[in-house]
Amino acid sequence: MNEGCIPTKTLLRSAEVMHLVRDRSAEFGVRGIDPKSVSFDLAAAVARKDNIVAGIQAGIYKNLDRNKNITFMKGHAEFTSPVDIRIDGTLVTAENSVLAVGSQPAPYAIPGLKEAGFITNYEALKLEELPNSMIVIGGGYEGVEFAQMYARYGTAVTMLGRAPRVMPKEEPELSEKLGDILREEGVDLHTSTEVVRAGAENGARFVLVREAGSERRYEAEVLLLAVGRNARVENLGLSEAGVEMDGPYVGADRRLRTSASNIWSLGDANGGLMFTHRATYDGPIAALNIVKALGREVDYRVVPRAVFTEPTLASVGLTEAEARAQGHEVRVGTADFAGSGRAKAIGLPVGMVKLIADDGTGELLGGHILGPRADDLIHEVVTAMYKKGSAEAIAKSIHVHPTLSEVVKRAAKALR
Amino acid sequence: MSDAYDVAVIGAGQGGLPAAHMAANLGAKVLLVEDREVGGT
Repeated sequence: MNEGCIPTKTLLRSAEVMHLVRDRSAEFGVRGIDPKSVSFDLAAAVARKDNIVAGIQAGIYKNLDRNKNITFMKGHAEFTSPVDIRIDGTLVTAENSVLAVGSQPAPYAIPGLKEAGFITNYEALKLEELPNSMIVIGGGYEGVEFAQMYARYGTAVTMLGRAPRVMPKEEPELSEKLGDILREEGVDLHTSTEVVRAGAENGARFVLVREAGSERRYEAEVLLLAVGRNARVENLGLSEAGVEMDGPYVGADRRLRTSASNIWSLGDANGGLMFTHRATYDGPIAALNIVKALGREVDYRVVPRAVFTEPTLASVGLTEAEARAQGHEVRVGTADFAGSGRAKAIGLPVGMVKLIADDGTGELLGGHILGPRADDLIHEVVTAMYKKGSAEAIAKSIHVHPTLSEVVKRAAKALR
Repeated sequence: MSDAYDVAVIGAGQGGLPAAHMAANLGAKVLLVEDREVGGT
C-alpha cells in the first residue's frame, strides 16, 4: 500500500491522464492543447499519491485504535527464541507469532550495478524530478507498469527483459500484444537480453547487454531494477525462532505453519503468488488456525492476477499450454475488444479475452484478458472457476449493453 | 519482566492487519509490530 498497489495505480492514473491529454485529446474533439506545451509535474503526481496513501493509513490507525485487543508497536522485531521477541529495546513474549513481513526487491548480481547506482520500485514512486531517460531492467509486473508509466510521463524508456516476451508466464498471444503496445507507445523494448555489466560514465549510467548474440550498450539517467522479490527477513532472528527458510522465502505448510510449531507465516514472505490479495486471504486463515486450531488449509486454486498497464492484463487459472501439459483436452473461446462498441467508444478497442475449458466436462480452467478494465472484468471468470463451473452462466446470462463485459460473454459463447 | 501476548503479528501490511484483527476479534491478546509504514508494500 506504500510502495506497491495503491501508489502505482495512483501514479499510473496520472500516466493515463497525461497520455490522453497530450497524445489523444484532439481525437476526442478537445481543442487548444499543443502537445509540445504539455509537461508533466511528477512532484505533483507524487504528492497526490502521498495524500491518498496518508488517508488510507489514517483509516488503518483508526481501526487499530478501535480494536481493544490489539497493541500496536512501531519498531523492528527480532526473535531471541520461538516465544521471546525483542522489539528494539522492549522484550515481549508471544505464545504464537505470525510472520507477515512481506517482500523486498531481490538482490541481483550485475557487476557494477551497485557502484553505478540504481533505484527499485520503492524509489521509483518517490522521484520528484522526471528523468530524461530510464532503463528498466525486468519484464515482469513491476517492469511493464513502470515502463509504461514513465514513458507516458515523457521519459525515454529502454526496457530490458530476460525472457522472450514481457510477462512471460502469461498467455503468449496476450503478453506478445502487450509488448507491441508498449513499443507503439515508444518504449524501446528488448527481450531475451542478459545484462552483463552496469556502470556510470560522464554523469550517465550504462548497461552492457548480451542480446541476439552480440553485446550492446544502453545509456540512461536512471536505472530501475525490477527483477523479482524475496522475503524481508533480515535480522528477524528466524534461526533463534526455529523457522526454516525455503530458498529466499519462509517455509510454510498449507496451514501457514512454519517449521516452528508456534510460528506462522503468510503472504509475500512465503513466495509463490506474491499479490496483496493473497496476503489478505492468508491473514484470517492464519488467525483461525492459531486461535481456534481449525487446521484450515489455504486454497490457491483460483487466484486472479493483474498487471495494471493500459490496456490491463488480467488472468486466472491455467494458460492453454499449461492446461494441455496437465493432460486436459481443451476447448478455447476467444473474443476481441475490437468488436466491442463500448471499447470503441472509450477509444480502447485493443486486446482480447481468451477462455480455456476442459473439453470433456466443460469446466473452466483459465481466463485471460488483455483489454480495458481487464482487472475488473476477470472476476466474472473468477466466480465461475471458484464454483468449479463451466462458462455456461457467463454465456447465457444477460449482460448490460454496451459494456466491456459483453466481450467476456462472447468469449464464453465461443467456447461451446 | 516482559509483556505477554497470545499472538504477535510481525508486519502491519495487507496480510498482517487482517490476521491481527481476526485473532483479536476471536479474543486473543494481540501485539502488532511494524518497522516501516502500516499498510505494507
